[in-house]
Amino acid sequence: MRPGRWTRVFALAAAASFAGCQRGEEPLPQGPGEKKLNVYIWSEYLPQEVIEEFQRRTGISVRYDLYDSNEPVLEKLQSGVADYDLVVPSDYMVRILVHLKLLRPLDKSRLKNLGNLDPRFLDKDFDPGNAYSLPYLWGTTGYGYDKPKAGREHESWAPLFDPANKGQILMLDDMRECFAVALKFLGHSLNSTDPAVLKQAADLLKKQKPLVKTYNSGDYENILASGDVSYAHGYNGQLAKLVAREPARFAYVLPKEGATIWMDSVCIPRRARNVDAIYAFLDYIQEPEVNARIVNGISYASANVPARRWIRPEILNDPAIYPSEAALARCEFLEDIGEATTILDEYWTEIKAQ
Amino acid sequence: MRRGSRLLAVHAAAVYVFLYAPIAILVLFSFNRTSQTAVWQGFTLEWYRRLFSNELILASVRNSLIVGAATTAIATVLGTLVALALGRHEFRGKGATRSLLYLPIIIPEIVVGAALVTFFGVVGLRLSLTTVVIAHVVFSVSYVAIVVKARLSGFDRSLEEAALDLGARPLQTFWRVTLPLILPGVVSGALLVFTVSIDDYVITSFVAGVGATTLPLQIYSMLKVGVTPEVNAVSTLLLAVTVVLILVAQRLHQPPSERAES
Repeated sequence: MRPGRWTRVFALAAAASFAGCQRGEEPLPQGPGEKKLNVYIWSEYLPQEVIEEFQRRTGISVRYDLYDSNEPVLEKLQSGVADYDLVVPSDYMVRILVHLKLLRPLDKSRLKNLGNLDPRFLDKDFDPGNAYSLPYLWGTTGYGYDKPKAGREHESWAPLFDPANKGQILMLDDMRECFAVALKFLGHSLNSTDPAVLKQAADLLKKQKPLVKTYNSGDYENILASGDVSYAHGYNGQLAKLVAREPARFAYVLPKEGATIWMDSVCIPRRARNVDAIYAFLDYIQEPEVNARIVNGISYASANVPARRWIRPEILNDPAIYPSEAALARCEFLEDIGEATTILDEYWTEIKAQ
Repeated sequence: MRRGSRLLAVHAAAVYVFLYAPIAILVLFSFNRTSQTAVWQGFTLEWYRRLFSNELILASVRNSLIVGAATTAIATVLGTLVALALGRHEFRGKGATRSLLYLPIIIPEIVVGAALVTFFGVVGLRLSLTTVVIAHVVFSVSYVAIVVKARLSGFDRSLEEAALDLGARPLQTFWRVTLPLILPGVVSGALLVFTVSIDDYVITSFVAGVGATTLPLQIYSMLKVGVTPEVNAVSTLLLAVTVVLILVAQRLHQPPSERAES
């Protein structure tokens, strides 16, 4: 749902491999498992009625626990003693979990509804060939703004760099997301690794710093709602909820220069045991009507194409949830930029310390 | 002199406002008619009604009560025994034991949590409500031991000697004389432990497994999706329970003479 702090995650991952916690070489648990399913998922990400129908239909009892950031998923899977059968991490966390060998490869021969998924969301850099993960829900990172205070309509990243908005801007406290804004505004790919381009972006962010009231990744939509800032960089989900509540006052912009697209994927922990229940559930949530009920229930976009027939029009036609083809074509996933991460880290420290 | 004391009163009032205004606002907004967090639009009990029809929250309350009760029972017995051993007997390593007692309270919770989850991993104990209880007992025993030990320090041993002289067996003496005398300490230790257990977030978040979401974990996961008055309502209830327990614990912890005065 929201990419967390890279440094912390890498520190955790490094510490874990240092401690020798990699259990990748163990054999996978075999056999069908019990008629039980333990799901670990973002809060407000799976409607109760969808779970209840699955239980009614299959007799499999579902237990689920909720998390609020990606890090607990890593922590639970690394402990080696958490009995989760399915987890739903964000793209960058999938990469880490794959790298640490904490996931079980998908047996695609057991998935009937794979064809329902939009190829645009398959075979991504964090999991080539979808060996370990399937798209669940996705969204974009744009910004929300206070229409009366802005006094005009916006469609570009420009107001976030406009000195006239000094003290009225909130940026996500997230290195890659902030650089993505700067890079896109300058007309580059948000996965650029060219040192000259990165320097340009860093200079722009340094110039922006005095205009920014706060860097916040937790409750930016509330800060925007309270009127403390007029522009809040953030993920579409939370901002779209605010807009839906007060459409006269707030709007979400997916800037014309392009933006980040994020995706949360369903993955099977390596030690998961209730294999039959897992595949039954994976197929179930990609049935078009069921998938549409998930989307209708929580107002995030899914990658399921035939589901769109049953998705409520006000969600399907909301550009904050389902952007137009043209807008989407300008968006990019955050990819692993390797060595360039170190360069960004240095710039980011300079910016934050400024 | 009078001016000085008035200034002091103003200062004290300011400190209390600073400390308690945010909590008061949280309580107030749990009765707010709109779901927006920043504007007051009239009184309602709607959020409490929704709270009690929210299965996830109710399940987490149930988990918290189970963990709280189990932790209290185990930690109170163990902690009291530790306090008695430290207060009564001389043994090798007594100094070290006494110092170690404070460790679980002093060590940052995040370290305790990480250490415990690694430990459970090594011994192969699946994460569940049981591991949560074990983790809570780890840091709770110290609280009980410290509170009971304080109670023991003012203990008049001649009462026990008298009981023994009059023919009571050691165990009889414990049940009839010692325990009733230290009971206020034991009970206030138990209440303290219950409070700490119900409130704990950091350690619990590390060691909770399938179906072991406690109330603080539940509240936190709701918070990140946006503060709703439901969160305020459940926080208010949690706050009420905690305050009552602390008041009871404090009252029991006071010597009887002071209690009569206050």
